[in-house]
Amino acid sequence: MNAPSLNTHPTRLQAANGLRTVASLAVLLVTVAVLVWGFGRTGERIAVLMCVNVAAVVSLMVYCGNTGIVSFGHGAFMTVGAYLSGILTMPVGLQRSALPDLPGWLAGYELSVLMAMPFVALAGLAVALLTGSAIARLAGASATIATLGLLIIVHSVAVSAREITRGSQTFYGVPRVTDLLIVLIAALVFVLIARVYRESRWGLFARAVRDDKDAATVLGIAPSRARLIAWSLSGAMATVAGALYGHILGAFSPASFYLNLVFAQVVMMIVGGMASVGGAVVGVIAVTFMQNSVRNLEGGTTVLGFTLPEVFGLTTVALGLAILLVIWLRPQGIVGGFELGPGAGALLLRRVGRATRPADAPVPVGEMQLVAQGLSKNFAGVKAVDGVSFEVPTGRITGLIGPNGAGKSTLVNLMTRQYDADTGTARIGDIDLTYLPPHGVINRRVARSFQNLRLFSGLTAYENVLVAALAAGHTRAKAHAVTLRELAAFDLDDIADMRAENLPYGARKRLEIARALAQEPAILLLDEPAAGMNPAETDDLADRLETIGRDRNIGILLIDHDLKFVNRLSARIVVMNRGQKVAEGTPEKVRADVRVIEAYIGRGRTARVAGQN
Amino acid sequence: MKTKTLLMASAISAIGSAACAEDYVIGVMSAQSGYLAPYDGPAYAGFQFCIDEINAKGGLNGTIPVRLIVKDTRSDIAVGVQVVQEMIDEGAEFIVSSADADPTIAAAQITAADMIPTMTFAGTAPVLTQVGPHVFGSYPADNQQAAVLAGYAREQGFESVWLVKSPDSAYTLGGPEYFGEAFSALGGKVVGESNYSLNQPDFSAIVTTIQGAATPPDLIVTWAWEPDFPAFIRALRGAGLDTQVMGGDVLDTPTIRGLGDVVTGVVHTSGGFPDEGSAYADFIDRFKAATGTEPDNNYYVNGCDIAHMIEQAIDAAGSTDPAAVSEAMAGIENGEGIMSNFTFAGTDRMPLRDVVVARISASGDKEFVLRQSADPAILPKP
Repeated sequence: MNAPSLNTHPTRLQAANGLRTVASLAVLLVTVAVLVWGFGRTGERIAVLMCVNVAAVVSLMVYCGNTGIVSFGHGAFMTVGAYLSGILTMPVGLQRSALPDLPGWLAGYELSVLMAMPFVALAGLAVALLTGSAIARLAGASATIATLGLLIIVHSVAVSAREITRGSQTFYGVPRVTDLLIVLIAALVFVLIARVYRESRWGLFARAVRDDKDAATVLGIAPSRARLIAWSLSGAMATVAGALYGHILGAFSPASFYLNLVFAQVVMMIVGGMASVGGAVVGVIAVTFMQNSVRNLEGGTTVLGFTLPEVFGLTTVALGLAILLVIWLRPQGIVGGFELGPGAGALLLRRVGRATRPADAPVPVGEMQLVAQGLSKNFAGVKAVDGVSFEVPTGRITGLIGPNGAGKSTLVNLMTRQYDADTGTARIGDIDLTYLPPHGVINRRVARSFQNLRLFSGLTAYENVLVAALAAGHTRAKAHAVTLRELAAFDLDDIADMRAENLPYGARKRLEIARALAQEPAILLLDEPAAGMNPAETDDLADRLETIGRDRNIGILLIDHDLKFVNRLSARIVVMNRGQKVAEGTPEKVRADVRVIEAYIGRGRTARVAGQN
Repeated sequence: MKTKTLLMASAISAIGSAACAEDYVIGVMSAQSGYLAPYDGPAYAGFQFCIDEINAKGGLNGTIPVRLIVKDTRSDIAVGVQVVQEMIDEGAEFIVSSADADPTIAAAQITAADMIPTMTFAGTAPVLTQVGPHVFGSYPADNQQAAVLAGYAREQGFESVWLVKSPDSAYTLGGPEYFGEAFSALGGKVVGESNYSLNQPDFSAIVTTIQGAATPPDLIVTWAWEPDFPAFIRALRGAGLDTQVMGGDVLDTPTIRGLGDVVTGVVHTSGGFPDEGSAYADFIDRFKAATGTEPDNNYYVNGCDIAHMIEQAIDAAGSTDPAAVSEAMAGIENGEGIMSNFTFAGTDRMPLRDVVVARISASGDKEFVLRQSADPAILPKP
């Protein structure tokens, strides 16, 4: 069968996302059905707890999976949810005896569990926004430690606030929810929300930040905002999950939501696969089945004529073994790095024929230029860039060359705010880019690629470009059309549904440029786009850049060590050496400049060459 | 495939264990791992031993054989809720719950609908029986222990006490607070309080605060357990403070007594004391002979006493109807136990039982000091 047309990719992707959502929902539904019909009342009870765990772990995954940060703080949200819902739903008479000192504004509501949920979700959202304003600024281990801090703080507050929580004593009298239908619907809704968010604009942004914060930033994505949205949604969901958990327990204390519970849920998420909603669902199911199967053997039983002795603690041993096996055999969890279900390139979807029309070529850019004026940067006394000034106007390709360590990439980093300049400006019209936040540079239509490839490895090639188009502010439909245009311009049709980390090197290089162009920049800074390419690939890239530069009238700053490549494309070349600009002019003029020859082959040899002449 | 096999096995075991109609079915929540295992483990061992003895004599009161359903909760309250429901499904007419307030109250809310009597292995927080008239304690409650200890302290002439407590658990917080209340009611004075966190490695700041107190206490009381108590007492004695220290029944363990000089003279409460020739001493001999294990704490014998409490309640009720058994249990007065006798009548179903006060000797042994019931006049309210 022929490969499907690239233009059907958006429809296929939409169908695949729908099927993936259905797959997660179906796995949960089938499991519940097996438990209820296969194991009667016991199975139903296992299913109730499993559904609440699915809600909690899926909430956890919304943050952890999409940002790549493991959180131990979701126990804090569950604590808030369980206590708040408990207070709001507790019978008034019981509340008077169990919580005699409860503040008046919290007392006497006696709502139904369903009625309490919106208030619980709003409270969770408020707590998440408040805590997220700090935690969302952090990444990696420091963010994880901060979430642990949140758990400890909320636990301590719950223990201290005795008038509201009964302190470390048991909080009882919470109406119990034992109806499977309620928790099953909750779990299904949670899976649906998590799936919709994951594929949404903000879900893609969060995953882009997860895979490469700097690359996401230059696309105009504010990392802390992307993380804050993930945290807030996740926190509000976890608060509701905590309320449900409280209602199935009926009695609990702050310790019920502390490290043991948090670790168990993190384990479920990791066992299933942290990166996907399906992974979270499968993780909960796998751990639930394993624990309940082993639990029934603990008390001693007879199987097929063999009498097994009483061995308590088997569940803990089995759980430990499961974690070890998963880490050893499938480090990304049972489901792996992909979402459960077919991708856009699946055979199943090849017959999907509805095509999307690629976007028209963007309107050619008008006259403007990026002007660097006296840019300098010191690193511990070493002058990486020293008072460099030059212009990158639209409508032509400007080369920037120099030996290794000349300061070329640092210069690009100064202009795009990856580094703060010590002195100097980089202006587009009246706007000085050096005063903008890093994610604000793209708003001035300045895009870039990186010397070392910085793709979003967990996204497909298509999604890499789609993220850029969405970050540029396009509607979803327009973003798809723009993505198709850029992928076609760089001949990336065949690999659109492959994950970026699996692409061949040349395709990755082209993809990074396509991604930058999806933002329709006026100025494009390309840092060694041909590095590592063979001559044929380099020639092909040169053709494409020539075409794009001409058709769109954009200004390109081209950094590369392949002087033939730079000379072919550049109308003007800037030469740097040891942080300073040493020459600037047409390729012919620069080639003849003695300072350029010195920079590349050394002063002594230059003199000998001159003497021989 | 493995999962399928295990599930099949579970199903087979469930079918194989269907109840016989004439058995009295008792569901036992027993944490075999996690923080409750050190209490539930011995309590279950003692309970099962005495149920086996009862069954050997024809069952409860010689006529009603007992069948136990025992399920591990892993000290996880959610699992606890699940197993209680399962045990009720399997016909449990009495639930013995884990040795803590959280799982007991959670279980009691489930058993409330059918008034199935629910008794904690060794939970001592007085609050746990407030959930309903079918919930019972078995061990002397924290407030009883604190009242007896406070009475002893005042008799010994202690005037001022410093309370060291942890808000992280009802036990570590409630015990010292009940003590302070009873001590004050008897004319003593609480001169200071310090809070610690469970598993806190360093108590030097608390010791320094006590050292620098404007009114130095002549007594320090804590309900701290291991490893907090060893860390605290070492820091205290290491700083040169030889103030008398008293604590709760959780200090009644061989590891605490094995700490050496630092614990010499420490006084603590206990549920019972195996005097020579007593029923308790006889229980220890029988248990050791049957199992090869020496019961080294009171949870074993208390577990056994629960079996006797159930037997006496059924005898008084004249039936195994759950509500009738609950009512009969609540009316027991001076019931016969091995650790000590017990009275539910007139209480809020935390039994009135003798509390023993013991002292750790220089040789690391437990010395009997006194045995008495709490004085209702100074018994702190839960």
